[in-house]
Amino acid sequence: MDRIPILKMGECLLVSIQVDMDDDLALALRDSLTSRIVQDKARGVLIDISSLDIVDSFIGRMLANIAAMAKILDAQTVLVGMRPSVAMTLVELGLSLPGIQTALNVDRGLKLLHCSPQGESSAAKHH
Amino acid sequence: MKSGLREERITALGGVKLVEECDIVTARQRARQLSELVGLQTGNQARVATAISELARNAFQYGHGGRIDFGIDLSAAPQVLWADVVDRGPGIANLQAILDGQYESATGMGIGLTGTRRLMDYFEARSQPGSGTHVRIGKTIPYPARRLTAQDAAAIREGFLKLEPVTTHEELARQVRELAYALEALKAREADLEARSQELHRLNVELDETNRGVVALYAELDEKAAALRQADEMKSRILWHVSHEFRTPVGSILALSHLLRRGTDGPLTDEQDKQIGFIAQAASELAAMVNDLLDLARVDAGRSEVKKSPVKVGPFLGSVRGLMRPLLTHENVALIFEEVDEGLVVETDETKLGQIVRNLISNALKFTERGEVRVSCRPSPDNDAVEFTVADTGIGIAPENLDRVFEEFAQVEHPIQRQVKGTGLGLPLSRKLAKLLGGELEVRSELGVGSTFVLSLPLGERAKKHGQPVVLVIDDEEASRYLADQLFRESKVRVVQASDGGVGAELARFERPALILLDLIMPGRSGFEILDELKANPDTASIPVVIYTSMNLTASDFERLGGHCAAILPKLGSHRTPAFQAMRRILKDPELFKDEPEFAEVANA
Repeated sequence: MDRIPILKMGECLLVSIQVDMDDDLALALRDSLTSRIVQDKARGVLIDISSLDIVDSFIGRMLANIAAMAKILDAQTVLVGMRPSVAMTLVELGLSLPGIQTALNVDRGLKLLHCSPQGESSAAKHH
Repeated sequence: MKSGLREERITALGGVKLVEECDIVTARQRARQLSELVGLQTGNQARVATAISELARNAFQYGHGGRIDFGIDLSAAPQVLWADVVDRGPGIANLQAILDGQYESATGMGIGLTGTRRLMDYFEARSQPGSGTHVRIGKTIPYPARRLTAQDAAAIREGFLKLEPVTTHEELARQVRELAYALEALKAREADLEARSQELHRLNVELDETNRGVVALYAELDEKAAALRQADEMKSRILWHVSHEFRTPVGSILALSHLLRRGTDGPLTDEQDKQIGFIAQAASELAAMVNDLLDLARVDAGRSEVKKSPVKVGPFLGSVRGLMRPLLTHENVALIFEEVDEGLVVETDETKLGQIVRNLISNALKFTERGEVRVSCRPSPDNDAVEFTVADTGIGIAPENLDRVFEEFAQVEHPIQRQVKGTGLGLPLSRKLAKLLGGELEVRSELGVGSTFVLSLPLGERAKKHGQPVVLVIDDEEASRYLADQLFRESKVRVVQASDGGVGAELARFERPALILLDLIMPGRSGFEILDELKANPDTASIPVVIYTSMNLTASDFERLGGHCAAILPKLGSHRTPAFQAMRRILKDPELFKDEPEFAEVANA
């Protein structure tokens, strides 16, 4: 409960957020993800938020921050699996998530990142 | 913002307290659940939950916590879900500016409030600096499946109350933290244990090494001790052989020089006689030394036999005195033998005792230039031993040398030392002999004043009778006295003998015997006279007297005895039992005479 798992897939890191994060957990995710990017020399980060009902301004900002930091560390971030209601809410909130790429699902996200093909099977789990 | 809203139209649905950060998550989840329950569609559920999340974070971050209360306006058409978010913070100073979008917040607070207003249908915010902020938001419920009733509201409220308490997450987090902490502590303890174990192992290894060292040391010591023993044995053996081989040629020299001096092969000139005399003297000194060495070696090798017999100290010292007189060459030195208790007897080897005492005296004479050498003997204070003392007024021995004088061939540096002849074997030999006899030879001395050597010897079983009850035998015949002595050989009694009546009466006064055996027929004064004398003297009157006779007493004899005798003991014959019994009583020894044949018969009968 205290940690969001970060999986390594080839040159990419896969983060699947399965719980409603509180602010501390979101900050912890940001910190551990940036250090894992360096540690694993990752080229891309895939963040799956398909389980989230709600993305408020704080979480949204945190995701944008992660993407910005990853970019500085030479890694591309793709946000996948956003629910329509979350997308609507984010837009209405006025949060446009600048500098963050999105994809409909993990499959497309991996293609976007040109990640290794073994991601195929792993991506299937999420659908 | 629509007006006309009245508090009393709102039915409460439940609330959430905002105390900790995780309460934000709880609040938005409750908001989403409520939205679903009141019939809001998915998009609107997300909107309400997000709006509540924003407001809750504001209340928590800027307002130091607060609470959220949900309610529903059942009477409105369409019905409206309401939420009041109240905090106790410092309030928002530029609220209007923020709401107008003129304020850019670095922390995102602007987005929070303006975004919330965009998400909700109703939005009302009041803030007074110092008294906190109150935000009320509302969301109409479009196209509901059916309008909610008061019962529905109550059911929702009840369900809301039953939801898991907020603290679960917190509790879980706490437990996780505690577990992590415990794990950490466990790791630390493990590391500590590991360190200790390593230390223990190190110590063990060290101890092992030390142990090996100790064992090796012991082995070495054993070896050394064995080597020492071997060397000592070899020394004794060599000493023995050499001395033995020396004796024959020295004996030849002595015998031949005597032969020459006797003039058997023609007379010698005076000069030749003198020279041969010197040769003989040197040879006899050499012989003495060889004899000493031989004795020492014999004792060391355990070949010296001890032949114990009772030695009467008085006569023994008398003969020593005769032997030592020729050694007395200094006019300024007197050799004094103190008087010795006549009855003093020690059971020991007379030859060896003589050797020791002669050694001590000749030693004392050697180192005494003026004054005296005093020889004495007396029982030890506890009556267990006799002490022979040889005290001189000679050069004395320094304290640091007291032990050295007993070492073989050791002689202490002193001007006199060089003048006197000696092998340095006398004292060591004496001490070894004393040990052999079960005794001790000790020395005490003061430099320039003199030395005192004390030889203490155990009295021995038979000699111990000294100090025990005395039986006085007065008889002129030696055989009779011997027989009487034999009667008491197994007892603790000491027998004192007198060969005539006069001496007997004197001894009776002196010794105060427990019993007197008195012969009747003696040359000079008869037993009858002596009995009368004993009974007349108050010192001896109470001593029981047993008549010890070979004659058959007549009635007149009994008359002459006058009832003064305790019993009649015939020297021969079979009527001795009454006398034995009487003597048993007198000497208070029930074991007495139990081996006498005549007595045993009666006792068994």
